[in-house]
Amino acid sequence: MSRERVRRGIIHGAKPFAAGNVSAVGREGVAGGLSDDRTLLERIRRGDAGGAEELFERYAPALLRFADRMLSDRDSAEEVTQEVFVKVISRAHQYDGRAAVSSWLFAIAANACRDRRRRDRGAAVVPLDSVGELPARGEGIEARLAGREQRAAVRRALESLSDEQREALVLARYHGLPYVEIARVLGISVGAVKTRIFRAIENLKARFSEGEASWNAMN
Amino acid sequence: MECHELTEYALGRMGSGPTPDPAVLRPDTAKKPDPMRNELDSHLAGCAACRAELALLEETWETLGADAGLSVTPEFRARTIELLEEEIARRRIRAFRPRSRSVRVLAQAAAILVAAAAGFFAAKGGTGSRPAGTAASEAPGDAAASPDLSGNPRLANVSYRTDPDGKIGIEFDATRRHSVVGRPDDPQVSKLLAYLLSRNAETAGEKSRAITLVSENFGPGAAAASPEIVRALAATLKRDRNPGVRKKAAEALASFRSTSEIRSALLDALANDPNPGVRLIAVDALASAAKEAPDPKTIESLREKAFDPSENGFVRARAASALKAIDL
Repeated sequence: MSRERVRRGIIHGAKPFAAGNVSAVGREGVAGGLSDDRTLLERIRRGDAGGAEELFERYAPALLRFADRMLSDRDSAEEVTQEVFVKVISRAHQYDGRAAVSSWLFAIAANACRDRRRRDRGAAVVPLDSVGELPARGEGIEARLAGREQRAAVRRALESLSDEQREALVLARYHGLPYVEIARVLGISVGAVKTRIFRAIENLKARFSEGEASWNAMN
Repeated sequence: MECHELTEYALGRMGSGPTPDPAVLRPDTAKKPDPMRNELDSHLAGCAACRAELALLEETWETLGADAGLSVTPEFRARTIELLEEEIARRRIRAFRPRSRSVRVLAQAAAILVAAAAGFFAAKGGTGSRPAGTAASEAPGDAAASPDLSGNPRLANVSYRTDPDGKIGIEFDATRRHSVVGRPDDPQVSKLLAYLLSRNAETAGEKSRAITLVSENFGPGAAAASPEIVRALAATLKRDRNPGVRKKAAEALASFRSTSEIRSALLDALANDPNPGVRLIAVDALASAAKEAPDPKTIESLREKAFDPSENGFVRARAASALKAIDL
């Protein structure tokens, strides 16, 4: 099988991207229809605060998680998420409809995260103890600790990736964006998206393999 | 299929949203026919290295799922919704543009003509014409009297300006567009500002703008704030939900000449405000006032804060250094 066929296979495997057919942000996203999203943007343009509130309800969870995985800090992630929605209000008239609203929002979030990391570079990194949500009550303390450790280990592994690899991988793995859409969000080619994700996975494989003994002990 | 193509193919399948899932690679769960599948299956059957590679790849992909991610807390939601509402309201509010000189001259000329006409008809014994003074004072654009605030009317689209001659301009919509212009110490202006601060402002943005105007026009080297304004700021400091607004109110009070009412508001903020930024402003303001006129209650409060192990480190340090600076 030629590389070209592989490439086509991959692209066929992906949902073809067009402004009109991406109606979900993926497993951690929301099911916001594109026309609904556009209606919300139109309402925001007209100065309807309810439109902004609905857009927040729809996309804040996904954007918050994206920002958190990029910045590893809840406060910074919340600030970036707020920044995204404030920018949406000021730039609603700039949305040209070529990409899905979700892609536009992720693009704003990715830029905001990059700015934030650039600004914070050099500052001490304070790892977050409580990565993710705590398990539900009722789980045993050991299970809770193991789950917490595992989440922290995954987060450390993500932090070990370069910003470029991490944002591509997070969008694919956690938000289920097709490569073509990731390419639009990040402003790079589909080939570059695949390369970044490929390298990210290679790094993570090596990292998880290194820590296999302790990893298995946790499970 | 070549071995080196496996990872690329597998990642392509897993990362082809909207449901990235390594299960798409397994024959029994593959959801749709893929011409590559057969090639993959036959390749995997004969290549142990690729089977191991695929297993590792799936495991890595699945392992990443252990990071459940954050969820939106009710506090974050409430804070952000408020911020967005303010942002939208800020964009809706029309910029306050003073009328141009030519428009003002024309309006004055029109008022004179109306007054002259009214006088003429009055002299002729005509009925139905209004006194000239009333007509002039209600002409849009003139410094009309503030509307009756006793019924708690909602004043919308409020905008402010400070004129070069030191007067404050406050424009708003009630039943019609009002424009109140006067010196900061004018009782009518003070009353209106206190009303805007304490009862009318609904969003943090509206309150912040009103407090900024107060800070800019009252205090050292400017007019003394009226008791109504001090009361409105003290109430804002005590009750407002937004820490940014409370900080602004504390800063405004701190900039006024200290009175027992201001001291009491700041002491209350130092003891009870949940935000350390607000408490820091209170420490500084109280310490500054105590330097000029030491007050036992202030000294005791600062001492408590300096030695309170549960207090924020910055607040404790500031309270301790403030105590040192006060000549006891």
